[in-house]
Amino acid sequence: MMFILRMAAREIRSSWQRLLFFFICIAVGVAAIIALRSVIQSVRAGMSQQAQVLIASDILLTSNREFTSKVLDTIAAEQRGGRIGVVSRATEIPTMVRPADPSKAVARMVELRAVEREFPLYGTLTLASGTYSHDLLVNHGVVVRPELLAQLDLKVGDRILIGNVPFQIRGVIASEPGRSLGAFSLGPRVIIDYAALEETGLLAFGSRASRQLLLQVPGTAVEPLTTALRSTFANEFVGVRSYRRSEDQMGENLTRAENYLSLVGLVVLILGGIGVSSVTRVFVQQKLRSIAILKCVGATSREILAIYMTQVLLLGVAGSVLGVAIAAAVIAAVPAFIGNIPAVFQVEYGLTTAAVAQGFAVGLLVSILFSLVPLLDVRHVKPSLLLRHDIPPLARIDWVKWSVTGVVAASLVAVAAWQAGSLRVGLMLSGGFVATAVVLHLAGLALVRAVQPLRYSPSFALRQAVLHIARPGNQTRVILLAVGLGTFFILGVRTLQANLLQDFAVQVGEDAPDMFLIDIQPDQKDGLAAFLDEQNGSEPPPNIIPVLRARVTAVRGSEVNLESYEQVRGRGSLSREYTITYRPQLNSNEELLQGKWWDASPSTGEAEVSIEERLQERFRINIGDQMQFDVLGRTITARVTSIRKVNWRDYRSGGFMIVFRPGPFENAPHGYISSVNGPRDPAARARMQATLVSRYPNVSVIDLREVLDTIQGIVDGVTLGVTVVGGLVLFSGMLILIGAVSMTKFQRVYEAAILKTLGASSRLVATMLLLEYGVLGAIAGTVGALGAIVLSWAVARYALDLTWHATPAITLIGITATATCVAAIGVLASLDVLRHKPLATLRAE
Amino acid sequence: MIQLRGVSKTVMSGERPLTILHPLDLTIRSGQFLAVLGPSGSGKSTLLGLVAGLDAPTGGEIIIDDVDITRLGEDALAKLRGEKIGFVFQFFHLVPSLTAFENILIPMEIAGRRDASARAKRLLEEVGLADRGHHYPSQLSGGEQQRVAIARALSNDPPIILADEPTGNLDSTTGKLIMDLLLNVRRTRQTTMMLVTHDPDLASLADSRLVLRDGRPVEHVESRIPNPESRVQVTR
Repeated sequence: MMFILRMAAREIRSSWQRLLFFFICIAVGVAAIIALRSVIQSVRAGMSQQAQVLIASDILLTSNREFTSKVLDTIAAEQRGGRIGVVSRATEIPTMVRPADPSKAVARMVELRAVEREFPLYGTLTLASGTYSHDLLVNHGVVVRPELLAQLDLKVGDRILIGNVPFQIRGVIASEPGRSLGAFSLGPRVIIDYAALEETGLLAFGSRASRQLLLQVPGTAVEPLTTALRSTFANEFVGVRSYRRSEDQMGENLTRAENYLSLVGLVVLILGGIGVSSVTRVFVQQKLRSIAILKCVGATSREILAIYMTQVLLLGVAGSVLGVAIAAAVIAAVPAFIGNIPAVFQVEYGLTTAAVAQGFAVGLLVSILFSLVPLLDVRHVKPSLLLRHDIPPLARIDWVKWSVTGVVAASLVAVAAWQAGSLRVGLMLSGGFVATAVVLHLAGLALVRAVQPLRYSPSFALRQAVLHIARPGNQTRVILLAVGLGTFFILGVRTLQANLLQDFAVQVGEDAPDMFLIDIQPDQKDGLAAFLDEQNGSEPPPNIIPVLRARVTAVRGSEVNLESYEQVRGRGSLSREYTITYRPQLNSNEELLQGKWWDASPSTGEAEVSIEERLQERFRINIGDQMQFDVLGRTITARVTSIRKVNWRDYRSGGFMIVFRPGPFENAPHGYISSVNGPRDPAARARMQATLVSRYPNVSVIDLREVLDTIQGIVDGVTLGVTVVGGLVLFSGMLILIGAVSMTKFQRVYEAAILKTLGASSRLVATMLLLEYGVLGAIAGTVGALGAIVLSWAVARYALDLTWHATPAITLIGITATATCVAAIGVLASLDVLRHKPLATLRAE
Repeated sequence: MIQLRGVSKTVMSGERPLTILHPLDLTIRSGQFLAVLGPSGSGKSTLLGLVAGLDAPTGGEIIIDDVDITRLGEDALAKLRGEKIGFVFQFFHLVPSLTAFENILIPMEIAGRRDASARAKRLLEEVGLADRGHHYPSQLSGGEQQRVAIARALSNDPPIILADEPTGNLDSTTGKLIMDLLLNVRRTRQTTMMLVTHDPDLASLADSRLVLRDGRPVEHVESRIPNPESRVQVTR
């Protein structure tokens, strides 16, 4: 045992530099796993301590209409019975605000929240300066997010108009309980007093207000009460949510995020592992004579295997320790990075024991698993090698090696499944990785073969470079795989991003409407139409579309029969609130699939409705079926007379799942929406919005150009994320490249010495190296770029349903950058080859 | 005592079998010094390798101290070499990543000897390299490397020393020093020694000589001088 430990230590002393880079790869992978897991586990720990902060209460009731007396009476009774403590009302509503100062002609959509004194029941609403108290809101006070101040060019103390009522800005919101982190929102948060909401006039019929009741529950009866309320309110269109449910849901999301993200680290680790495997094979080849000597003086194969396994283990431990150190440094930097994101609750970031243990274990496992198979070759080294050099290789099948390979492969799948937290994902990842590796490998082989004609090139340096790429033991495969994979990730996501943004840009083109007006009241319809017509100039008058909000409460059909809203709820999304319209004509973005479209006359008898094909596909509702709707408290029964297909990407005429034949709603109160092609000039655009909002304060404007900016921001964020992943992979690729170069350096130094003796200048040798790595890099870049094109095409075509556009600039830049990088690193890592004096080298041999 | 009974070795040369060593009987008594002579390719090194268990014979038995080593597995052979055989190669074959001192330590560490370090120091002194122990093989001359190899071969006090042209890669002066060292070792430790050489002068120092040609023994003579120690004295 002592012999094995001592020999392992001696071996590390002589070969650690050659193996270093591979274990830095292990370190990078381990660091990625530990850092990602730690961050998410820290967030979870923070969350479980302050879970009520997620919804600012124990139980949150929400409804899109006024709470019915049944709801209010039940809550009051429960409160009297002591099962509910504090009850606080709140309303959320998207609306427009604008500066009270008429010289500032701008308006913005915001997410308004009106709250009572008790808000928040849990957590604290923190302000950028000073402390929040409800007193700030009374008498027309308002606190706002800092973005709004910047957008409207305002400061604390200024006044803004909500509806037509002026409010004074009295604070800037830093963080707000009950607002989920990173959720998509239509605009910045604005908080006013609940009592002041009524007079803004925003609660007019048809507005998109969300009424909320925040409940505080004494003791531990939250779950039973939630269940009880949910069943009592089953037919009241009220959502009942407990903080535990939110915590569980968010916890599940976090677990999933943690597991998926740590797969990134695993991919880097596996690349490092492949590097380890490949370098171990070369290592054993270089150690053949030493192994034979050890056997000659009495060491058994098992002892020698143990020596090298111990060496791998020690280096694996060193790599993993380095990984922990890197992760610790990254975690220390996290608060600085996300400091400006409003945190819902306090999070103490730090390395968690569980994450460190996992990262460490995976690092060690990968090191051992990947080196085991190549190390088994030491068993076949014969001591007679020392007497004769021409040992014929063994032709028989090495069953031990094959079985170990099988066990190693199974273990790797198990590690992947463990990290992903799912056998299926583990299998998919392993399968995907093997498939990608095989494809990259085959593409690499094909390209290496494709450049082979260059071996007949008149340039000596180019001939040698091409020959070297195909040379055995040159690690070409590993470098192609690692660098190619990194390039593939980065170029793939860049190409996809370019495609996505290009598609949105095309949609918000010159002649398409780029502003949507919502919440138009019936009495505003004609005035607004005139205003828009005037803005539109020569364009045809804008379309003003009637909209109502409805829920399906029953379906009596040939294939389904849902008698009550409760049964409809059993069908999932069928129970959601639909925005419906009515019109006589079929729109240009619609196609009639089944049934017959009605004529222009309003329906007289039974109401008629046309549904989109997805409703037919998902819920088996067919022509002739009877659907019952609740439209703001009114029950309407209609027969399905046609099924339409909507081209959702052409939104100019709007897209509706459910369209009624005109008739039943003509005299019912309802709102309108409109789309308009706004001025391109930002100042004119802002002026128009401000004018519109000052005349019609309840009308909200969704500015598509701003939405596009938001989407661009999100896409940029995702792109950055994936680019970081690709960057990590590429970085490992470069490390493997450096490692491969230093592993085979001895051979190169020797060759360079012979070439120099035969008259080659250092310059020529340098050119050879540059060309060799340049060609290798270009092949790796091409492999990655081809993969990226296929990936982005497939995602665009099948997942996002976009038209795919080629992005030759990204492809070319990607290939050139990869080739340059690989060439530069290859030559820099080989500087020794150029520096060595030939005589010393030849003598040493 | 080493006994060879009908030992032969055949290898495949391309598609055709090639017999490097034809069936050979040979007995080497304990303490005997046997020189094996013959031109290149006559099977000398093959014979030596077979006796050391570095390779397996195609036919026959090799019995060392009543054990037929042809029936032993790789690991048992390694153990046997560690205990009973010291091997000296023409090309020294030191582990390049270990220092001279560490190269001498290896067999003793494998055997688990507690006095390994002290003994390695003594052996270094014995071969005249007391101050070179921390040097790597690449920092030593050929003669010095061979002396380290001899010290390594002696480290477990093996009763048998097998030397494959130990001076073949050295100049004549250095070669003579190495040979003196080996003979001195044999004299002081009474080891059995089998020496492969091209050099008839060296062979004349042996108790007996075996001459091989094309894998067959052409001459096997016992030396007329019964006490080899006197001959050692003579060469000095």
